[in-house]
Amino acid sequence: MDRAVLGWAVAGGIAYALLPWYALEDGIFGFGWLSGYPTDRIGAPALVQALLHGRLALLPVAVFLLAPLAVRGFRGAGASPALLLTVGAGGTAWIAVQGFAVGGQPGIGVGGLVVFAALLMLFCVGMAAKGAFNGDRFLSGGIGAVVALVVVFVFFPVSRVLVGAVEDSSGAFAPSEFWAKLSAREVWGLDCLGSSAGCGVAWNTLILGVLVGASTTALGLAFALIVTRTGFRAKKALRLLTVLPIITPPFVIGLAVILLFGRAGAFTTFMERAFGVVPSRWIYGLPGVWLAQVLAFTPIAFLVLIGVVEGISPSMEEAAQTLRADRWRTFTTVSLPLMRPGLANAFLLGFIESLADFGNPLVLGGNYHVLSISIFFAVVGAQHDRGRAAVLSIVLLVFTLGAFYAQRRWLGRRSYATVTGKGDAGLHPPLPASMQRLVYATALPWAVFTAVIYVMILFGGFVETWGRDHSFSLRHYVAAFAVDVTDFGLRWKGAAWNSLWTTIEIAAISAPLTAAIGLLTAYLLVRQRFRGKEAFEFGTMLSFAIPGTVIGISYILAFNTPPIELTGTGIILVICFVFRNMPVSVRAGIAAMSQIDRSLDEASLTLGARSPTTIRRVILPLLRPAIVAALVFSFVRAMTAISAVIFLVSANYDMATSYIVGRVENGDYGLAIAYCSVLIGFMVLVVLLIQFVVGRRRLGRRAPTRVSLEGIPA
Amino acid sequence: MRRKSSFLKAMLLATCALTTLVLVPASARGEGTLTLYCSPQIEWCQLVIAEFTRATGIKVAMTRKSSGETFAQIKAEASNPKGDVWWGGTGDPHLQAAEEGLTLEYRSPRLGELQAWATNQAKASNYRTVGVYAGALGFGYNTELVAKKKLPEPKCWKDLTRPDLKGEVQVADPNSSGTSYTLLATMVQLLGEAEAFEYLKKLHRNVNQYTKSGSSPIKAAAQGETTVGIVFMHDAVTMAVRGAPIKVVAPCEGTGYEVGSMSIIKGARNLESAKRFYDWALTAAAQSLGATAEAYQVPSNKGAATPPQAPKLGEIKLIDYDFAKYGTSAERKRLLEKWGKEVKSLPQ
Amino acid sequence: MSLETHSASVEFRRVTKAYGPVVAVREVSFTVAAGTLVTLLGPSGCGKTTTLRLIAGLEMTTSGQILIGGSDVTRVPATDRDVSMVFQSYALFPHMTVLENVCYGLSVGGEPRDRAVAAAREGLALLGLVGFDDRLPSELSGGQQQRVAVARALVLEPRVLLFDEPLSNLDAKLRRRVRQEIRDLQQKLRLSVVYVTHDQEEALAVSDQIIVMDNAVIAQQGTPTELYLEPASRFVADFIGDANLVKGTLKRTDERLAALRLGGVEFALPHRGATDGEVNVAIRPEAVRLRPADGTDAPLVGTILKAAYLGSHMEYTVGSVIGELFVVDSGGVAAPFTVGARVSIAFTSHGVTVVD
Repeated sequence: MDRAVLGWAVAGGIAYALLPWYALEDGIFGFGWLSGYPTDRIGAPALVQALLHGRLALLPVAVFLLAPLAVRGFRGAGASPALLLTVGAGGTAWIAVQGFAVGGQPGIGVGGLVVFAALLMLFCVGMAAKGAFNGDRFLSGGIGAVVALVVVFVFFPVSRVLVGAVEDSSGAFAPSEFWAKLSAREVWGLDCLGSSAGCGVAWNTLILGVLVGASTTALGLAFALIVTRTGFRAKKALRLLTVLPIITPPFVIGLAVILLFGRAGAFTTFMERAFGVVPSRWIYGLPGVWLAQVLAFTPIAFLVLIGVVEGISPSMEEAAQTLRADRWRTFTTVSLPLMRPGLANAFLLGFIESLADFGNPLVLGGNYHVLSISIFFAVVGAQHDRGRAAVLSIVLLVFTLGAFYAQRRWLGRRSYATVTGKGDAGLHPPLPASMQRLVYATALPWAVFTAVIYVMILFGGFVETWGRDHSFSLRHYVAAFAVDVTDFGLRWKGAAWNSLWTTIEIAAISAPLTAAIGLLTAYLLVRQRFRGKEAFEFGTMLSFAIPGTVIGISYILAFNTPPIELTGTGIILVICFVFRNMPVSVRAGIAAMSQIDRSLDEASLTLGARSPTTIRRVILPLLRPAIVAALVFSFVRAMTAISAVIFLVSANYDMATSYIVGRVENGDYGLAIAYCSVLIGFMVLVVLLIQFVVGRRRLGRRAPTRVSLEGIPA
Repeated sequence: MRRKSSFLKAMLLATCALTTLVLVPASARGEGTLTLYCSPQIEWCQLVIAEFTRATGIKVAMTRKSSGETFAQIKAEASNPKGDVWWGGTGDPHLQAAEEGLTLEYRSPRLGELQAWATNQAKASNYRTVGVYAGALGFGYNTELVAKKKLPEPKCWKDLTRPDLKGEVQVADPNSSGTSYTLLATMVQLLGEAEAFEYLKKLHRNVNQYTKSGSSPIKAAAQGETTVGIVFMHDAVTMAVRGAPIKVVAPCEGTGYEVGSMSIIKGARNLESAKRFYDWALTAAAQSLGATAEAYQVPSNKGAATPPQAPKLGEIKLIDYDFAKYGTSAERKRLLEKWGKEVKSLPQ
Repeated sequence: MSLETHSASVEFRRVTKAYGPVVAVREVSFTVAAGTLVTLLGPSGCGKTTTLRLIAGLEMTTSGQILIGGSDVTRVPATDRDVSMVFQSYALFPHMTVLENVCYGLSVGGEPRDRAVAAAREGLALLGLVGFDDRLPSELSGGQQQRVAVARALVLEPRVLLFDEPLSNLDAKLRRRVRQEIRDLQQKLRLSVVYVTHDQEEALAVSDQIIVMDNAVIAQQGTPTELYLEPASRFVADFIGDANLVKGTLKRTDERLAALRLGGVEFALPHRGATDGEVNVAIRPEAVRLRPADGTDAPLVGTILKAAYLGSHMEYTVGSVIGELFVVDSGGVAAPFTVGARVSIAFTSHGVTVVD
């Protein structure tokens, strides 16, 4: 106990006395600050800032840091839990308050960050010493860190933008505007019931979300069942195909759908020539958006469900069969209910993804308006009505909250633990024949459809003008990815290299952070009881539920000025990705972890392992499918996200998607598609790499699944 | 106690990973740098900054975003501006930024070289913005589709309300697009408010989709997804030059136009560089760059060469567009609300 | 045997554990002496498993103190308590082999690999598991898995070893054998063991002391004999073994003893604090003696209502004025009573207790 206190207090003290308190123009590793160190105003530590530069508000921080050390020195005994709580809470609060209250300060830097972290950890050690979290300091620290991060990077920026809902255009408090905007007919109108006019955006969004959630869950389940429970031959190809859409940058699927089903599309033209069907614009609107979103989000449902379907204890299914249930009954009464957490999570993700999706409704929406688009154009459109954007965001949030709550109600308190400490050596029963036919009939046409879409996309990069002039051309690839060999080595001449490198760097940094924070959060949520857990869980979902545009704006509003000044850096992109994509890691982690019996962790604890060791040696190996899902998803999303990114990219940190959207806006589809094809290829490699490095869990079931799944990309 | 350190290590590692990212500063600062927010297509932006750097030695950090996005960003950043100059993009958000005091008053010595419409833009905004190019509103139609359906060629605004074009016209939603707001304001100025709304109601019956982005309709027309797209004519020219079966039309009744503008952001960190860019961007040489980047707008400097493909403003019947009136937030809001109530809500 | 023992005592001082409004353990105090096997016995939901988890540190007390080996561990997390636990589900790590499972505690404790393996092999050998090192838990039988779980807990030489219903997944014969093995091992190594079960026979067979819990509190603590012969309450009497609960009339004769009338029978027994008048009496089935009634002066007679032959003994249900009595008769197997026969009823002095 005492060493943890000593360690954190000393770390905080060193940072206070030695590390530059404020953020530096060219970063801590720019080393420019060393020239005037430690007296120069720019790179000075807090101690010097307070004594030489009159930043007296920093002095009390020292008191908070020294208190536990002083008590130790005087009394020779450790600091009491109460003192640690006081010091931790007081110190962190003081840093935050003085950061906002005292003007003229630069943004907080490495020194401030370490001191803040140290004080936070002292608080957590105090909590553990009080007996919270079973006295486990790691858990206490983990929860403290995640809560602090969520508060700073989710609650704070989101509240900044939502406050706009009750302000009028000049920024004054005007609650009446809120009601006017909330009750507007374009939000809740039901005109579509009686006439040809459209319904309100809220209804449109809800209908689309439910349709997409249900369709993606059903398709995801069908694919998961084919891969795990049937003798289907081309499983590898199927798995790859189901994963393709997730690694596809936005707009591309929408564009491909138009080129196939649009009024001048290939399929439409074929139907016209062959059967005389008059070309129409049916694809623009709900059918098109639904089609594109189901294409895009089925893989998410698949990734969530594959782990769950694999993880169901075969002995439970065997038990049902011995209880005279035939295969069909076994499937419907045992297997399917056991998949409930997975199904609920898959639906929730599909629903939320659909709500937040921006690219597909933009390209294919026609006159079918949804909230995400309305929010985007409320912000950037001709009216620049941020208040309306905030109000619509609140509507969107309420939907997400509702879905979240409904999922909770549906799952109830039943236990879904199927990986128990008892060795379990059964065989998954094959699907009942009728079910197998149904699954094939659902999944295989869809797979063919996906394949056609991707052939078209690949093809589009190699033709002169997509949709018009289909003569072979490499000009798009040359424009984007040309490389000159000069005397000084390679010169990256193509227009896309710059944004590509940045994108890879940001994605590579954010993916492991996302997976780590997400899985840690899942562990805390599934395994620990603490007050405010529900609120905490919702908080982690919040940033996912809010459309990227709002997140982008909120990040600018919150992090453009001190005390946390991040705009224009790469960090803000990383943070944005981490907290936007974390919910998927959390959901995957929760689904997988609720299948692992709690007694496994407890056994590890009583065997003398600490929580970190338990997580590393017991939980993580059993969570491999979830880790793969989390890593793949967060990497891929970092490479393909768009709406939040539009506001956060800067001259030095331009992202691939923002570049691609620029090309699409300009009507330059060829280059956009060539770039997308390269991104897709790259991501396939990365997914394979992640699969290879993380590997599969071994549960020792004598199962054909074990053989058939090896080396297949997740 | 011993294993406690692994958590510490993890925290430190994460911190390090994050801090390595701060390698590059938020914005270029000091002598000889400039942060530019650029709203036209990226080729033009890149060409402009390359030429500017060659001419002055000032390094430019450029971000390209549409004018709506740029306005939203400048507004969000107002308390601590990161950009210096906002170049290009339709004039309305520039005027709005001027109205909200987000941009800086500056009278370039080159104002005298500019066309009247460009200096009017400056006067309307108290010299917080200035016109750099202009583009007339018009429409383009897909010649293949028109031929296939044996339709008479549309030449005027009123042709677009013909019953045989039902479901064949695409235009942006004025709530989201400056292009379409220009159409709304143009009609009000051309026909008078009551007549204009009658026209728009008739047009509404023929519109198959109100797109979000101003230039989408012409891309849809180029692909054959719609027959007619109402857009700025230079956007239609770009499509035609690329080989799409698009015929560009300057409506016979006359039409309005946009003034692509440029503003210096209030609180610019590199004010000197910003002013140098501002002056340079108004020169004839700088304004002649557009055509090489497939930008067929009309430059504002009287001495700049107009691209041969560009719609000739002199040959188009231009209305005397009142930017001062129709650029204000109040008038815009009033017209948009009226349009939403009287036109958009009608069944099609 | 090189496994050393560091057995320590466990003491609860007025420990309460509440989950919100639900109290799982209320003001419980007891002591487990070092080197003894104490069983926590009770019906499900009585708080015995929570008590065990409180010892392990998997739950934190709401109030009260827990001492292990004399030092206060109330706020010490599970990892630092030096207490090992064998779980009902065994909680074997499914992704590790038998050897890896048993080595786990040693290696996370910093033991060098070769010494951990040696100790693990020794532990496995002690439990008769040789040659299973590289198997996964899923490839073992239930009894083998159970022994791996015990070996994994044992090789850490914990101060206290906890068992949470370790035999509930085994068949009856195996259960009897394994419980004896656990008892032998505990006595051989002088381990401090706390053992949770709901099976009274198991508790009686292995324990030095039994703590009977009911409704979050301790109903009675004592040796198996004490609990069986002198149950403190109807609950304990009924829960441990079979008991006939009847009414009798008590009259104190001195400080300790009293005269008890059951029907026409009167005999002396400890009054255990009961006041004069009608009392509850628990009678063990084997404390009832039946004789053929010769029709005359027996103080208490009854009629055989049911009779069952169980090889080693007879079981009867006898109707009488004090109620129906369940009787186990191991003496008269050769010449059993038939249903409807009239019998005279007498009681042995052990096995009849006044309960509250």
